[in-house]
Amino acid sequence: MTDIVVKTVEELKSAPEEYREAVSKLVISHAINELYGAQVFDEPAIALAPNPYAKWLTCRVAMEEYGHHVRFKGLGTQIGIPEERMVPGPGKKPLSIFEFPLKTWEEFVAIKLLADLAEILQVEDLLHCTFHPLRNLARATMPEERFHAQFGEDFSAELVKTPEGKARLQAAVDEYWPYLPKFFGGSKSKNNEIFRKWKIKQRTNDEMREDFVKRATEVAAKYGLTLPEVRQAA
Amino acid sequence: MIFMGPLRIEVRTASWFAALGEPLTDGDRAEAKIYADTDEVQLVTSWPDAERFLKSPATLDWWEREETLRKELLARAEARHPERAFWTALTELTTEAGDLVHGKAATAAARMTGAAPASIHVAAGAASQAVYQLGVARMAGETASLFESKFRLFAAGRWPLGVAGSRLVLF
Repeated sequence: MTDIVVKTVEELKSAPEEYREAVSKLVISHAINELYGAQVFDEPAIALAPNPYAKWLTCRVAMEEYGHHVRFKGLGTQIGIPEERMVPGPGKKPLSIFEFPLKTWEEFVAIKLLADLAEILQVEDLLHCTFHPLRNLARATMPEERFHAQFGEDFSAELVKTPEGKARLQAAVDEYWPYLPKFFGGSKSKNNEIFRKWKIKQRTNDEMREDFVKRATEVAAKYGLTLPEVRQAA
Repeated sequence: MIFMGPLRIEVRTASWFAALGEPLTDGDRAEAKIYADTDEVQLVTSWPDAERFLKSPATLDWWEREETLRKELLARAEARHPERAFWTALTELTTEAGDLVHGKAATAAARMTGAAPASIHVAAGAASQAVYQLGVARMAGETASLFESKFRLFAAGRWPLGVAGSRLVLF
């Protein structure tokens, strides 16, 4: 471990190159994935939402996700990352989950229930980041991420009230769940090693993945849902 | 660079959610007539009543009409402006508006009581959508769309909840 605390964007300029690069990679990753999430899932979900209450709630969620992108991009700009590196484009491979366009409202609810939980874990890991502008950004983002996961829980609770709704939601969980643990990156990720070396991030990808599977299993069980791996293991 | 200054000022100075549940004025009725093309306005006076209406509307025809118009205007706006500049301007406008109206909705909910916590987000979503729709319309060069009167209802402190049959439901 290497002890360093960077309190301002100005101080980052004199931080070691490896530290600066690690911070940049993380900011780029968050900026791109927040934008993908908003474009691929949140925005199309507005049309699928069943009533104006759900539609406007989804509007707000979509805007907050765009807002997260704007925040990360804003920080990236401050630390000198060119804007084109922080938006989706050629040569930038999105996470595999973003390659499956949304088809139903139940899919969106499943994504909010589980994928936003994965987001919470990623943001949680930045709450003690040694680069304080990124730590502060994570702290500002966290309440909104928690609200998005709660959105998933609230609409899951609605859907499971009927056997048909529960079956549709379970089918959506079955479809999307296999892509989610990959959110946390490879077991032997060199990037993660560097993030932890500088205490930019705190946990290994495997530790986070394990925690995610545990928490996702618990939250799914609250609504009588099961996760594919859990069923296979039973 | 796309200049959205005037609309940003209108957003900042609007009386977001300040008149929820208050008796209707002649001005509200006149604006409602322009927005929904009806003389019939139903006043909703509490957050729980607003939530009930929004969760079980008689029809979503009005929503679909607005969506059709938005898509039409969006295509026109995109044709008039460079893509990156257009989306940057729109995102900045709605992000700034989103945070502002969220706070205003929370204040209104605290003042009136009875609102479900998620309803503050719903109100903020509705108001932000109105700003977004008007932003698209203005960037399309359209200055007389129904999104102008919808925004004016919000700017006067109201929340148009939707259209049920021939009635505009106003909070």
